[in-house]
Amino acid sequence: MRAFNAELSKLFSLPGIWLAFLIGAFAPAVFTALDSIAEKEEIIAGVSTRLSEVGYIGLSFGVQGVIILGVLAVSSEYLTESSESGGGQQITTSLTVVPSRLHFLLAKAGAVTVISILLCIVAIMTTVSATHLILGEYAPAFEWSRLIGAVCYWTFTALLAFGITVLTKNGIIPLAVLMINSSVVSFSVLLSKITKLAFYLPDRAGLDMFMFTSDKFHTPSTGGLVMFAWVAVFFIVAAIVFHRRDVAS
Amino acid sequence: MSVSSGRKITQILGAELDKLVTLPLIWLTLIGTFILNLVLAAAFTSAGLQGAAGTQSILNIGLASMGYLQAGFIILGILATCSEYTGGQIRTTLTTIPWRGFQLSMKHLALAIITIPVAFIIVASGVLYALIMMRDTAVGFEIDTMIKTLVGATGYLTLTTLLSAAIGALLRRTTPALVILLGYYFVVSPLTRDFQPKYFPDTAGSYMYMPPSSDEINVLTPMQGTGILMLWTLIFITAAIVFYRKRDA
Repeated sequence: MRAFNAELSKLFSLPGIWLAFLIGAFAPAVFTALDSIAEKEEIIAGVSTRLSEVGYIGLSFGVQGVIILGVLAVSSEYLTESSESGGGQQITTSLTVVPSRLHFLLAKAGAVTVISILLCIVAIMTTVSATHLILGEYAPAFEWSRLIGAVCYWTFTALLAFGITVLTKNGIIPLAVLMINSSVVSFSVLLSKITKLAFYLPDRAGLDMFMFTSDKFHTPSTGGLVMFAWVAVFFIVAAIVFHRRDVAS
Repeated sequence: MSVSSGRKITQILGAELDKLVTLPLIWLTLIGTFILNLVLAAAFTSAGLQGAAGTQSILNIGLASMGYLQAGFIILGILATCSEYTGGQIRTTLTTIPWRGFQLSMKHLALAIITIPVAFIIVASGVLYALIMMRDTAVGFEIDTMIKTLVGATGYLTLTTLLSAAIGALLRRTTPALVILLGYYFVVSPLTRDFQPKYFPDTAGSYMYMPPSSDEINVLTPMQGTGILMLWTLIFITAAIVFYRKRDA
């Protein structure tokens, strides 16, 4: 528990974390607002085909915020400080204080999970109020099951980013890959045009938890399970690698 | 000690080139981008082959990966300038080269010298792959259009790299620079494509390599696109140099 508190305190004092909070909390609302304004006339006329997705599309892009969170949580530990302040890495201090590597990793993952759940709840609140503000009485009702799906998607994505960064130790690659992949021009969408197997990639499967688009492949629960399996695999591999690896290397 | 200005510039350029060439992450990024581009070219080609055969232009398919490719070059630009700030290398640099304006401009020049051939090779390899795979099915094209497009794409990637380098020099930290640039190029820009004027760096730059098509109105000619993107790049480089000269290192 103390390790968990320490991890929370470390995360909150990271300089880059505010960017993650800002993007995570407000980007979905802004996207939703733009989308609602663009769709408003069609929705009022009752001809919009995308009414069921209003709001959720913002949530699917706002996941960028928790990607930054998951990546920064690990990559900040491996950042080499300047040679003037000893050239050390935070990870050596962290592991001196919490010698059990598994405990350390679990505490960190726990902190990331808690923060991303909270961040997603904040994002849902801002998004829902944005749709109500713009669409007024035409705003769609938000179902709990889909909102819970969105929370799961955010949390799993954060943990996925976390696991990948433990493996790479450097924030640049996971950040670039995951950010591009959760954008409009994602690799998985491209791959899903070629092979059906791409629907089992974590982000495609995870999106099925709350996005009911036409090219839907999984039911929400199988989508969640597939994504959870990816997270579990990455986390186990990360834990094994982290356990065996020399910190200084 | 008096050194002639010309000799000074050559020495600075040599030093900056040396620094870039010996940065391991730069090579990793370039090799990664190259491999990624081939994989994407393969994916797009097979998607194109499955689609309506005979209607697609080889150039369009070969360049379809440009959208992803620019991520590698954005990373390249950011790494080139931000690497100075990890571990206080910047103080050594400025001790040996006390002319800040010269130093930063030479860094951009050195970066361009490295980027131009690499960008050309990477873009050409993608087009070549599409060419080999689709020789039989696709519509033919003339060799000078291909050269023009390749040069345009190379120029676009180089200018994007320089733009990222300038933004990296302004922000001085890798992660925020990466998040902002990737967020702009991959999330904000594609989502707001319908609203925004054609004069933003990525939209204007895309006219440099987009093959002229008859069914959509080309707002800008390749030359205009080049001019606008160059203007953006120069503005950011100038801003970076001004801040660099005024700011405490």
